[in-house]
Amino acid sequence: MNQRSAQLIPSFQRPASRVLIRRALNYQRDLGAIILESLGQFQMRVRGKTVLLKPNLVGFDPLGIMNTHPAVIAATRESFLRLGASAVFIGDGPAMDRDTEAILQSVKLREFTGPLASIFRDLNLDDVVRVPLATRATQLKELFLPKTVLGVDFLVSLAKLKTHHWAGVTLSLKNMFGVVPGACYGWPKNVLHWAGIDNSILDINALVRPDFAIIDGIVGMEGNGPIQGTPKAAGVLIFGDDPVAVDATACRLMGLKPEKVTHLARAGTLLGNLEVTKIHELGERVETVRTPFSVLEEFHQLREKS
Amino acid sequence: MRGGQHSFLKEFCIPFLLGAQNSDGGWGFYAQSESRVESTCWALRALENACIPVSMECLHGAREYLLKEQLADGSWPAAPHERTGGWVTSLVCSLWSQQKERENSVRAGLQWLCEDFPRDSRLWRRLLRRVVLSPGVFEQDESLLGWGWTPGTSSWVEPTSFALMALHDCPSGWLPPGSSRRCELAKRLLYDRTCPQGAWNCGNPKVYGVEGEPLVLPTAWALLALRNQPAHEKKSKSLVWLRNTFGSIQGSASMAIAGITLEAYGVCLPELGLQLEKLLDARDFLRATVTVSWVSLALSPKRCWFPLPEGAA
Repeated sequence: MNQRSAQLIPSFQRPASRVLIRRALNYQRDLGAIILESLGQFQMRVRGKTVLLKPNLVGFDPLGIMNTHPAVIAATRESFLRLGASAVFIGDGPAMDRDTEAILQSVKLREFTGPLASIFRDLNLDDVVRVPLATRATQLKELFLPKTVLGVDFLVSLAKLKTHHWAGVTLSLKNMFGVVPGACYGWPKNVLHWAGIDNSILDINALVRPDFAIIDGIVGMEGNGPIQGTPKAAGVLIFGDDPVAVDATACRLMGLKPEKVTHLARAGTLLGNLEVTKIHELGERVETVRTPFSVLEEFHQLREKS
Repeated sequence: MRGGQHSFLKEFCIPFLLGAQNSDGGWGFYAQSESRVESTCWALRALENACIPVSMECLHGAREYLLKEQLADGSWPAAPHERTGGWVTSLVCSLWSQQKERENSVRAGLQWLCEDFPRDSRLWRRLLRRVVLSPGVFEQDESLLGWGWTPGTSSWVEPTSFALMALHDCPSGWLPPGSSRRCELAKRLLYDRTCPQGAWNCGNPKVYGVEGEPLVLPTAWALLALRNQPAHEKKSKSLVWLRNTFGSIQGSASMAIAGITLEAYGVCLPELGLQLEKLLDARDFLRATVTVSWVSLALSPKRCWFPLPEGAA
């Protein structure tokens, strides 16, 4: 078992999780202060540690609606450095196009972070290690995973608040698809689709469970996400040290039932807390920031009754 | 005549690649990374086409690395220590397609390729999809057959293009039985998977009734694979899309392959060298060996791999 593997704890033995919702109406605000103050509420032990931020960079996005916004990525990086992290890397393995340089250029990440050569890791091209699956949700038995992901001390899923045309939603857990290297599995990582998207999400997160999750919901995407949906402003950032609880809270904020999202329902059994009774809300209450997201008709069962 | 490219090729790209070669003869995706078949194929192709003297020891080491990596079934793996072959098999077969001394290796690779059938076109699978998925989710001919990235998955534009190029590049005497049928189906698949506006993305031209957006690299690879095929309306439309998109390309990897493709179709790009140099220099690029290999190929004035149009060098 690798050092990043999740501890699989049955839900009845798990203590309550904490999730923090913060209002952030646009990307011009002082995100650094919001994020630093929010992270401070979790008493994370990151001093002297290496951190990897795993944003959701799915493709060319000149309008800034499908990817985690570069302002959020840069502010999070700065915040972890201020909390004492020895190094904070940014890494992703975009799924649809192997020209990661072009994607970074299109999202203008350098304008927010400065030079990237020493801090960005293209996870599609990273050195890999063959890792046996900790769970057997799929029949894959093993996956090649990037050494960078396995080697850092602290992993942060930095997702975007979006609906997804196959998985229902794409949040902290689905975001981890991006750690699977394209150089081994292709663009897209079709082997995961054949193994079952929901089951693959479980196996990946059991292998490399994020230590912390942040969702950029300042502007999300509804409808035919993760690429061709419609921008939807929710004006929030969501934080938590349990990615399942963070995703469940994000779903409720989107007016969707997390227990009806297949991968979340299954993740709630072993990987984190799904039930609202086991999630201690900090900051804004879900009810005060609820922003119903539309979903494709195939996912109508996810909608909460208005 | 393109300006500036020779010095950039000679002073930056080739030294970068030579400096990134590992002691086992291969290249990783970055300097000091573990050697991989894909990056080694591209680096070797770049050095062989560079028109700049490269030591025999360097080239020999790379070839030995690739030979060593071939699996018993004739395929090559995409990851070190992987026991199953994948799409990179096409890259090696194409690289060695004119090397008589590699005939046995290439024949074995081609045999593997032609016996590797994606699962999505199987009858039971198509029936299942018809039952499970709502009509209109995908609007493409699922009976067509190309190649996947990994065995037992779906056909996609890029691995299909790489396999087509390998089968086209090799002498006909090396091709296994049934290869012409596979090529025919693969070409039909590529045309079936063009986006409604022309050009290709990874292979989903329309999902849930929404038109897919084309991407540069899949379009370039598909056009290269179809270069010697008869004229086709979709090919012409895709070429126009690539030409119109070329000026707004933001990554040097995409620009290099798009440039090679346009030149293979006779388009002169006198500024390509300067544009690539600017794109690589203007940013702190990620220093991927495949990117530098593609840029080297695009800059090489006398490359044998998709040579420049006459008079352009």
